[in-house]
Amino acid sequence: MTARANTLFALALTGAVLLALLLGSVPLSPVRVLSALGLQGNPGDALVVWQIRLPRALAAAVVGAALGMSGAALQGLLRNPLAEPGILGVSATAALFATFVLFFGLAGAGPLILPLAAIAGALAATLVVAVAALRTRSAVTLILVGIGLSSFSAALMALLMNLAPNPFTLADMINWTLGTVANRSFADLAYAAPFLAVGAAILLATRRGLAALALGEEAAEGVGLDLRRQRLAVILGAGLATGAAVSLAGAIGFVGIVAPHLVRPFVGYDPARLLVPSALLGGLVLVLADIGVRLLPTDSELRLGVVAALIGAPIFVWIAARGRLVR
Amino acid sequence: MSVLEARGLAYRAEGRPLVEDASFRLEPGELTMLIGPNGSGKSTLLRLALGLLAPDAGEALIDGANVRGLSPVARARKAAYLPQTRPLAWPMPVRDVIALGRFAYGAAPGRLSAEDTAAVARAIAACRLAGFEGRAADTLSGGELARVHLARALAAEAPLLVADEPVAALDPRYQHEVAQLFAAAAHDGRAVLTVMHDLTLAARYADRLIWMKDGRIVADGTVADTMTAERLAAVFGIEADVMASGSRVSLTVAGPTR
Repeated sequence: MTARANTLFALALTGAVLLALLLGSVPLSPVRVLSALGLQGNPGDALVVWQIRLPRALAAAVVGAALGMSGAALQGLLRNPLAEPGILGVSATAALFATFVLFFGLAGAGPLILPLAAIAGALAATLVVAVAALRTRSAVTLILVGIGLSSFSAALMALLMNLAPNPFTLADMINWTLGTVANRSFADLAYAAPFLAVGAAILLATRRGLAALALGEEAAEGVGLDLRRQRLAVILGAGLATGAAVSLAGAIGFVGIVAPHLVRPFVGYDPARLLVPSALLGGLVLVLADIGVRLLPTDSELRLGVVAALIGAPIFVWIAARGRLVR
Repeated sequence: MSVLEARGLAYRAEGRPLVEDASFRLEPGELTMLIGPNGSGKSTLLRLALGLLAPDAGEALIDGANVRGLSPVARARKAAYLPQTRPLAWPMPVRDVIALGRFAYGAAPGRLSAEDTAAVARAIAACRLAGFEGRAADTLSGGELARVHLARALAAEAPLLVADEPVAALDPRYQHEVAQLFAAAAHDGRAVLTVMHDLTLAARYADRLIWMKDGRIVADGTVADTMTAERLAAVFGIEADVMASGSRVSLTVAGPTR
């Protein structure tokens, strides 16, 4: 069942990425896209496919995958279907740290400064949330801490915008807050990829413990789970993956909540087997949303994060209103 | 050698002693029930005995090894633990919940070795859960869920089983069913230690009682030897008639002592 779902989602994701290569402002036939992919044919076509469409589609796919997997892992650790990098303020804090680096012109010091700043923000926020969760053990408090963290990050972000020295810096900051994968290059992908890969690897290596946590923390310890190591692994893994995602695309919310929620029934509600299909579906959702963003005939292009929130926020409300919150 | 040996365990929280100088041994094949009023330190003593809590003094030995020195996996292979039931975070199928009992052997739901599968099947049979394997855990009654949790603990096939109030909030029929399953688990050759609030059930099913009051063990012995009207009055503050007929002890509680 799980294997079939994974295959299905992987095929759909591949299909969506191919679709993203076909669609865009310059009409290209499938034949021209394929020959451009093979670096044959018109050099202009190759430029469009290799420099613009492919890195953008891949960025959407990996960002969605990182957020989907982080959301699934955080939900497993905190035993709460509403835990998610966006809701918990992790994305907002990562975006704030990245903006901070841009504001003070530190990003020029090296290509790794920006991803590192975003990851530091994500780790700091994940740690705050995890400590709060462990102290109170209450789902409501947890969400409130996340909202507080998000609001504080937003306030600091607004302060930086308020003080922005010129319109270019301001436009940059708005992109970080709204979230977009426009104009991403393979170089951007390459700088984020190692952190993303390490984060995902940590989450996958420790996912078995998430299943044990379904029993409750005390019983999970009873069946042989090293609780401290498990918490540390999820905080580190989700922090790295989310931070890397934010460094690529800015703050994009709700993917991490929608993807695991839709996938859960297909994996028998097992929080461990949830990780891979959530990542694949998260990637699929963002690639499709990004295609939508590019095709919508608006004067200025819609930001991906805006579209994700427009779809995701109502689903969040729906889950929160009908779901039983885990104490 | 005893399966579990507690030597002078003590634990303080915020300067207040919760458990003081607690020593006892558990032997295989015996169902031991830990009884005492609310706040007498029963749950804390279980956690100390399992090494989930670091004692301020004393030590607990499982098979002669200090539990605090065991890795979580090594401990789980020797002692199965059923804490007070908390709701499952996700409505997983019964089969997967029970499979988690094999966690210490590297198993996970949907990823069981032949040995794990056989252990899960034995646990399902022992708790009479055949036919429930595919049911979502949130569709079960309280009694069924209690049996699922017990099956999860039995699936570990550990020589020691420790449970904290496994029959709390169950209907009388289910209470007796679950208590019988614990007795059966003990008579299969395990050492079983469980906190029990219901004194009638304790008198009916326990091979041995450990009495706790204010963090101290005040009595330890068979039901026939320790269940007396005087002790019930001293430990629980209740007035009760204790009647012994053969090896059976039954009690009638009249009310709180005046």
